This record gives sequence, structure tokens and C-alpha cells, in this order.
Amino acid sequence: MKDNYPKAAARFLRDAERAKWHDDTLWMVRQKRDANARSIPEWEQLRHLASQIKTHTLLRLDHYLEQFADSAAANGITVHWAADAVEHNRLVLEILQSAGVKKLVKSKSMLAEECHLNPYLQAAGIEVVESDLGERILQLAGQPPSHIVMPAIHLTRQAVGKLFEEKLHTDPGNSDPTYLTRAARRHLRQHFLTADAAMTGANFCVADSGDVVVCTNEGNADMGVALAPLHVVSAGIEKVIPDAGALAVYTRLLARSATGQPVTAYTTHHRAPRPGCQMHVILVDNGRTDTLANPEHAQTLKCLRCGACMNTCPAYRHAGGYAYSYLIPGPIGMQLGMSRDPRAHAGDIPACSLCYSCNDACPAKVDLADQTYRWRQQLDSMHLASAPKKLISRVLRLLFTSPKLYENVLRLAPLVNRLPRFLVYNRLNAWGRDREMPPFAGESFTRAWKRGKVKASREKSK
Amino acid sequence: MRVGLFIPCYINAAYPEVGIATFKLLEHLGVDIDYPLPQTCCGQPMANAGFETSALPLARRLDALFAPYERVVTPSASCAAFIRIHHPAILAGGDTGSRAKNQTEDEHPCHTHEKIVDLCEFLHDVLRVTALPGVFPHRVSIHNSCHGVRELRLSSASELNIPRYSKIAALLALVRGIDITEPERPDECCGFGGMFAVEVPAVSACMGREKVRRHLATGAEYITGADSSCLMHMQGIARREKLPARFIHVAQILASGL
Amino acid sequence: MTHKDEILARLRRRAIPDCPMPDVCLEAITYPDKVKQFTETLRLVGGDAVELTPGDDPNRLLRELYPDARVIASNLPGVTIATVNPDDLADPRDLDGVHLAVVAGDFGVAENGAVWITHNTKERALYFIPDYLAILLHRADIVNNMHEAYGRARVSAGFGVFISGPSKTADIEQSLVIGAHGAKGLTVIIL
Repeated sequence: MKDNYPKAAARFLRDAERAKWHDDTLWMVRQKRDANARSIPEWEQLRHLASQIKTHTLLRLDHYLEQFADSAAANGITVHWAADAVEHNRLVLEILQSAGVKKLVKSKSMLAEECHLNPYLQAAGIEVVESDLGERILQLAGQPPSHIVMPAIHLTRQAVGKLFEEKLHTDPGNSDPTYLTRAARRHLRQHFLTADAAMTGANFCVADSGDVVVCTNEGNADMGVALAPLHVVSAGIEKVIPDAGALAVYTRLLARSATGQPVTAYTTHHRAPRPGCQMHVILVDNGRTDTLANPEHAQTLKCLRCGACMNTCPAYRHAGGYAYSYLIPGPIGMQLGMSRDPRAHAGDIPACSLCYSCNDACPAKVDLADQTYRWRQQLDSMHLASAPKKLISRVLRLLFTSPKLYENVLRLAPLVNRLPRFLVYNRLNAWGRDREMPPFAGESFTRAWKRGKVKASREKSK
Repeated sequence: MRVGLFIPCYINAAYPEVGIATFKLLEHLGVDIDYPLPQTCCGQPMANAGFETSALPLARRLDALFAPYERVVTPSASCAAFIRIHHPAILAGGDTGSRAKNQTEDEHPCHTHEKIVDLCEFLHDVLRVTALPGVFPHRVSIHNSCHGVRELRLSSASELNIPRYSKIAALLALVRGIDITEPERPDECCGFGGMFAVEVPAVSACMGREKVRRHLATGAEYITGADSSCLMHMQGIARREKLPARFIHVAQILASGL
Repeated sequence: MTHKDEILARLRRRAIPDCPMPDVCLEAITYPDKVKQFTETLRLVGGDAVELTPGDDPNRLLRELYPDARVIASNLPGVTIATVNPDDLADPRDLDGVHLAVVAGDFGVAENGAVWITHNTKERALYFIPDYLAILLHRADIVNNMHEAYGRARVSAGFGVFISGPSKTADIEQSLVIGAHGAKGLTVIIL
């Protein structure tokens, strides 16, 4: 089992220089996001609309999903429905096998990660090639992503250089990002030219037109789809939006929030298969209908997967994506992981100082921090609450519900100031590990008040 | 208008001078201020850690205690925010938690959440103070605490594209001789976060060290804010790191000379 | 029940309170000089826009901009420097090795430097596979923002794409590299 967040974060911070780089780099992305948001006077109106449209769509998702499926089918796309990951993976394999596919090029899809698609296909003898540079790096390194938009953000250029040296035979010691990217371009171009099928996710499925809209910067999704005779799309059911008017709102928000670009380099509308080719769309539930039925966490489904909540989250920036147990880290990952399996992911829930920055950064106004607060309330009844925190809370309750006891503690507290250091600063005192204790006052406010000193202080200065 | 003063537990124990400054300031401004007893805590530390059930009796006590007052003022943005935002649901039996509504408990109408204001809100929005007698000839760096910024909206959050403002800066500007500044990343969390500070101490302390350094980089002599909890955390960090940082609550600066 | 019916049935137990579809009608940003804004934004995202002086030949300009391009693909009648008509190729993979493709854009978007391109060639790979991409665009065909853009965008033959600058990645240490899989450079020729 993975360590919980506090332990994993502490380990991440041990490499102070690297940790600082991680924090500074993601903060820079947030600043680019801020600058982009400020360049649009109607930004807050857009966020409001984005939230309302998603809420409306989720509420009538049955209607919009059917509309999308009908439109897509009318355009010549084969539409499939998958209740869960197992069903999804089986459908993908069936589609690939019936077309005799040996090699599949994939563009980044968090849904495919969620379903653990790659190992499943590989076990069935299909060669799977990730084509997003970051994802390809991780595939070669045998690692999972640590960020949804910048999946290899945890790796140094030197690490990538060494990996490419071994796998792609690049020049030893050359870790120049341009050089390495060019090498990957040549390497992946050969895969694009020889793939039998391309798989993409979907950023948006437009109900009234049946368009599958895919946004990338590298052009990898487009390259795959434009060359291979078969296109398979995996889309979570929450990706459906009503129409192009809604799409205008989301395309204005997505890249600005994600990377601080005005729009992704490619915003591609796939409405029909290429002539003589096939296009399949698999609409996947895999727990989403359960999330939607849960009033406290349904808002999670408004997420656009831009990653802005990660970039702004101090608990993410100071811990890295691997500090979280769920494959999607940060504020949104905490919600998605808990919705999926609280037992497996409760260890991520401490990763929040309740600063609420995620709520204000989210382009769809998902109430991320509020949901974390709510999950915390639910842990105890699921027998997942932290025992020390429960004990502290009980002690505080006892203290604060007994005014006499509280006053006595206030009176005695200053003694702590004079205790020998080893009694105060030890393994049991997490506060004192990196901080000095607060200087308890010789006389509390309450005591000063009772003795008339507060009012007297005012009289004195009059 | 009868105003009740709420002094949060950690101010009571560690920073009584903040409470005294608040009292003096309000009296000076002609407010009919009272400190009803016995008061303890609003319940935020337990609720943020996931134990609203432990916060419930405290919310009840607090609500009953302040029933006779038209307003409740506290020199703590975070406690004000907690009472305003979370007390109604906690008292209603837990709309925000998974607990079933507890109908057997006495139906206690909750009012404090409508009456609670942070000191800065009270001065800026209710009293609309335009003059203060004090002099504070120092450079101060404002610590925009998270709950002040993103729950009470004491200043414009840096994530939002809205006109810039700061109620704290506007109030401090009424004090003569003061030189007001803000750190880089002006409203990033300092890492306190209640039990976050002890549950994830490595991250909390790292954030605290960075925050104190950014405040010091402004050349400020004092770090000030509306939340003593953040200041307490940063003070603990600064003392351990032997950083030359001095901390003072906004109330103390606004009450200077009184 | 089929999976479809199952999923739709589950969706009908919805939890979010009712919320009508909002009117997506807002006063979105407009620019006094759309060509200037389009050009500036496109440069910001790593592309370039060049205005063709009246009377000048786009072929001359393209040659000047891409002196080293030997394999030039275009199906536009006026592009005489083209060495390949992509519509004559049997397989889209044959487009690999094209140095420069010259295509027509439907319209540009000032707020983000994107150009809307539809399926007006046999293989859409033409837009992604060449080393460099040149897009011809009429100066009158630039809209302010994406709301105007989606009011105008028509998909043809099941395809349409907004392209904003060259292909790019920052997947290695967030260091920006132009030219990941698609075009390594992109110029919009404003007619």
C-alpha cells in the first residue's frame, strides 16, 4: 500500500531544491493563467456560465447523452455504452480485434488511465504507443502520470535524457529539451505511419451536432486520427455539452486555465469518420452516475480536467503528484478518488489547508475545498478518520465545553513557556518539530477582563 | 447597538493584547461593547479536521451566549467565516456532513451567523470608519489570510478577475506614518490550516518558511493580518529559524495611540 | 436492459437541484483592430502573421518565407510554387516528408490567434504532417472571439479544426519547444 499523503509529502520535500523547482514551476503556470484570465474582462461571467451550463447539462444528462448518441450515429459514428471499466476495455479490444489492429497509437486520456486500458490491451497482444510526449516518456519509464496536464512534471530533463539515451539511442549526456523533443518526434512519427488505429479521449461531446472535440497542443491526437483507418474515442458521460454556444464558453476557459495559453494549438472537431474509415465512440459510466446521485459530491462532474486546481494548490505544489494515492492528484483528484473508493483514498484527504484557492481558480466553479471539508466529516462514520485527530478533537471538545476547565488551562498554559525544551519539543509534538510554541500569555484575555483590567486599560489611556 | 465581543481561544491564551486592542478601538469608536462569559471556542479546529459533531455543542453555546446582542465582533477573520458559513448547518444537524438530521435535539434557532463580523469588516463596512487617531511609523507587510480573502472577501482574491481592493489596507491607511506593502504571492496560504499544521507538518512548515521569507523580502518591519492563527504559525517558524520577523495583529496597529 | 438503458435509468435519479440552460449571451471582448490583435496573439503563441501588400504575389512571399522548402503541397489553384497536389496521393501517409503545406483558412479569431480550417482537401493529414504550415486568410475574415467564431464555424465532410500557432509541447521540465508532432512553424498570410 502507498504511504498516505503526509508521509509521501515529507519524503518529496527532502529534496529541497527539486521541491522548490516543482513549486516555482507550477506557480509560474498559475501566474500565466492569472495573466490570461485578466486579459478577458468577462472572465468571471464566463466561469459563471461554465458552471451553470455544466450544472444544467448534468441535470439533464440522460437527454443530452441520447441526443449526442443519435447525432453521432446519424453522422456515421458507431456509439457504444460501457457501464464500467471492464466493459469499456472489452469494447475497445473487440473493436480493435475485429479490425485486425496490431498497433494502436493513443493520445492522452485520463479515462483510459482510470480503466487501466493499456495493460489490458497489451496482455491481448496489441502494441500500445502513447503519443503525447509526456505520456510517452512515462510509458518508456514505466511510470504513472503525476499531473493531468503536465504528466511528467516530476522528471528532470537529465532523467528524460538518460531514458531517451537508453530507449531511443539519443546522444549520451544530451538533455536539451528541443533536442529530446525532436528525437521523440522522429521516433513517434514512425509509429504514426505504421499504426492500425488511433485512440483519443474527448474534451467535449457536443449533443446537437454529434461532434467529438479534442484539444491538444502537440497535434498528436490529430496525427493519429488523420493517418490510421480506425478512430476509437473513449469519453466519460460527463463530457457531453449541449451545443456550440456552450463550447465557445469552454474553449475560452480551458487552455487559459490549464497552461495560460489563449487556446490550445489544436481544437479539432471530429464529426464523422474519414471516407472509408471507421469511428467509434464509447460512452463510459464507471461510477459517474453514482457520483451524480450524491448531492454532496455531484459537482465534481463539472470538471474540465484543466489542472488549474493543482497548479494553485499549495499542498500539491509542495508534495508532487505521487504523494496522492489516486491517479489524478490535487484537489480534483481527491474528490474523484474518494468518489471511487473512500477506503483506498482517504489517505489523500489531509492534503488540504482549506485555503479555498482551488475554488476560485476552477473555471467551472467546482466547490473543491468544500467537498474536501465534507469528506472529512464523513470519514468518521466510515471508520476512516485519523485516530490522533479524533482524540485531539475530543480533548478540545471536553476543554471548550467546560468553561471552568478551560479557564484553569488558560491559567496554567504559561507554564509551558518555562518547561525544559525536551518536555515540549519531542516526537509527540508535531507543531514543535519545525516551529516554536506560541508564547502563552501570563494572563489570558478572560482573566484580564474578569479582573477589570481590559476596561481599565481603556480608562488609563483616555 | 449592543455589540458582543468574541475572543477566539488562541487569542485568549496567547495574544490577549489583540483582544485588548480590539476592545479599546471599539470603545474609542463609541461602540457599546460587552464581553459575555463564559466563552471558549467556535469549534473550527475540530470541524475542519472532520469532527463537526465535536463542534456542535460549542456552536450551541456560542449561539446562546450571543443571543442578546445585535452584532458579534471578533478579531479573527477565520472564526468569523467559520461561524457565518458553517454554524447554520452544524446547528441544523449537519447538512454538510453525512450524519442524518438529528431531529430529537432541541430545535435551536441559529442567529449568530447573521450577526458575526470580523473586526475589519465591522470597521470598514458597518461603522465605515474614515479617521483613526493613531500613528504607526513603520513599514508593514499585510498577510492576507485565506479565510479572510476567499471566505469573507476582505480583499480581492488573486485568482479572480475583479477590481483590486483590500479592506485591511484601506483601514491601515487611516493610521498616520504607516507604509503598507504586500509580499509576492500576496494571498497564498501560509500553511497553518488548523490541524493541517500538525497532520502534515513538513508541508505546513515549508509553506510557512517561504511565506515568512516573502514577507521579509518586502523590507517590512512588521507582518500584520486579521488572523492571529496564521501569525502564530509564522511566528513559530520565524523564531525557530531565527528570522528577524515581528508580528502584530491589525487591531493593534489600528488601536495605536489609544 | 442494455448498458445504454441502464446508464440512462441511473441518470434519472439525479441529485443536483434544477438549473435551466443559461442564455450564453454576454458582452464578450472585441478589438478596435482585429488584424493587429490577431497578429499579436498569433506571435505570442509561436506563430506569425504577414500581411501581403496589395498587388504582391503570395507565391513570392511564401518563397521568401520558406526558401528551403522543396516539397510543397497545396491544392489551391493560385499556389504555383506547389510541387505536390495532395489530392493526387493515394494514401495520407504519402504526405510524410512534405516540407510546407499551403492551405486556406475560413476565418481567424483575434482573441486567440486561431484559424478555422475545414475539410477542403482529400486528407486532413495535410494540416498536421508537414514541417511547416502556411494559411491564407482574408483580412475581412477575422472575428473577435470564440462566441463569434462558433456562430460562424461550419464543419465540412465531418471535420473542422481551430489551429492556433505551431504544434508545441512543454512536457520536459515545462520548457517550451515548438514543433512536437505537427507543424514546427506556422505563418498566416493575410490577404
